[in-house]
Amino acid sequence: MSQPTQEQITAYVQSKLPHAKDLTLTQFTQTAGGWSHEIYTFYAHWQEDGQKVTRGLCLRRDPGAGLLRNLSDLKEQYRVLQALEPTPVPTPKVYWYEDDPAILGGPFFVMEKVEGEVPNPWSKIGKQYYAEAAKRGKLPRSFIETLAALHNLDWRAAGLDFLGVPEAGTDFALREVAKWESLIQQSLRKPEPVLTEVLMWLKANAPKTQRLAFIHGAYRTGNLIVKDDELAALIDWELQVLGDPMYDVAYVLSDLNREGSPLLSCVVERELFLDSYQQLTGLTVDLEVCRYYEILYMMRSTAFWLSASGLFAEGKNKDLRLARTTYSVPVVLDMAAKALGF
Amino acid sequence: MLSAHHLLDEIIGSLRNVIAPAVPDPYPKAQAYMAAVILEFISRQVEERHDITREKEQALNESLRDLTAILAGKEPPATDPTDREARLCRLIEWLYSEKDRLGPQTFALANRRVREALRQLLDQELQVAGKPE
Repeated sequence: MSQPTQEQITAYVQSKLPHAKDLTLTQFTQTAGGWSHEIYTFYAHWQEDGQKVTRGLCLRRDPGAGLLRNLSDLKEQYRVLQALEPTPVPTPKVYWYEDDPAILGGPFFVMEKVEGEVPNPWSKIGKQYYAEAAKRGKLPRSFIETLAALHNLDWRAAGLDFLGVPEAGTDFALREVAKWESLIQQSLRKPEPVLTEVLMWLKANAPKTQRLAFIHGAYRTGNLIVKDDELAALIDWELQVLGDPMYDVAYVLSDLNREGSPLLSCVVERELFLDSYQQLTGLTVDLEVCRYYEILYMMRSTAFWLSASGLFAEGKNKDLRLARTTYSVPVVLDMAAKALGF
Repeated sequence: MLSAHHLLDEIIGSLRNVIAPAVPDPYPKAQAYMAAVILEFISRQVEERHDITREKEQALNESLRDLTAILAGKEPPATDPTDREARLCRLIEWLYSEKDRLGPQTFALANRRVREALRQLLDQELQVAGKPE
């Protein structure tokens, strides 16, 4: 699938804004991030009723051979962002969704380009940025408050039950295991005994959900737009689900997201996070359940890396970043094995 | 894990068809093309790590032999006895599904032996994928 050009995107935006005169796009950029979708940001300028209008926009397109394969659903992301707009959870406003491949070669949607920055927590500069913000104190609080707002959200009132409501008990954990096992089955090229043991352990030890909440699924620095030391928007909505809030908590607590930083997600002290989160949500953080979900995340990461390197091996995606993940599979499995005691 | 030769071929292709043509400055552009040429020579020098494959096969053989003894012939018949990794996967699934019938002691003993083998398999893969000491 070829990439859309600036001209094609200009023509599309013009079609959605029929009263806009002299429409032009500036600062048109394809961002380097994103493993599932292509992301383009730009500013649209036009004349309307004698006034100059400028709007920052972000276009997210499904390239057809992304990391999540058939588990990726742009329409679902669009609907989630629409549902979240009137809630206290900071998200970009969405404008248009299209599934007609005749327009840009694949499904896509256009949303507001939220002003701010997204320092990469895996880089030295990013780690330093978050460590300095942690000392000032405002960003860690905003990080915790936003997660609490997400988990306190009345998801039924927000119309998010279309995501699928798990039954009480172990249904949520088992659904997640099954979802990522299906990605593994699409990607695996040979039997993987370590992964089989991890999967079987996860199925045999699924915890019960204490309360259902709306879960982001990848709540960490790098998926947050920061402005003036506050969280301006929560982004990367492709793993959201209704389920156990401990699933998000475990992700924050996980070593997977801090690579050598003493701070959770490179930005918040563990004690501050646990105390404030419990106070704001009224939930009790169950560290044993979080440990289970942390191992589930290791299995999920394995699924991602198997999918990525599989797409590369199958010749469906030539991005060398995907090829590199072939070496990540044993590393994440090693983490899971150690967590399970072997 | 993808084979070294497959990866080298793809990197050479990327350097030649994606990276070098996009580099505007003549010096780094020539460097990118030359890197592709050198990698082609390296690809002929590189051998896959057959020692790792051998060690993994040995770990699999020994564990399957021990598990047969622990389970005293109760394990499921192998669909393809030559594919030892598939056989071990099937055995792991079977152990969990038969956990109650086997009883806690036999399950724990068999699971411990499985995990010992898995650690050996992982350690072999980590010789390539792990962080250098």
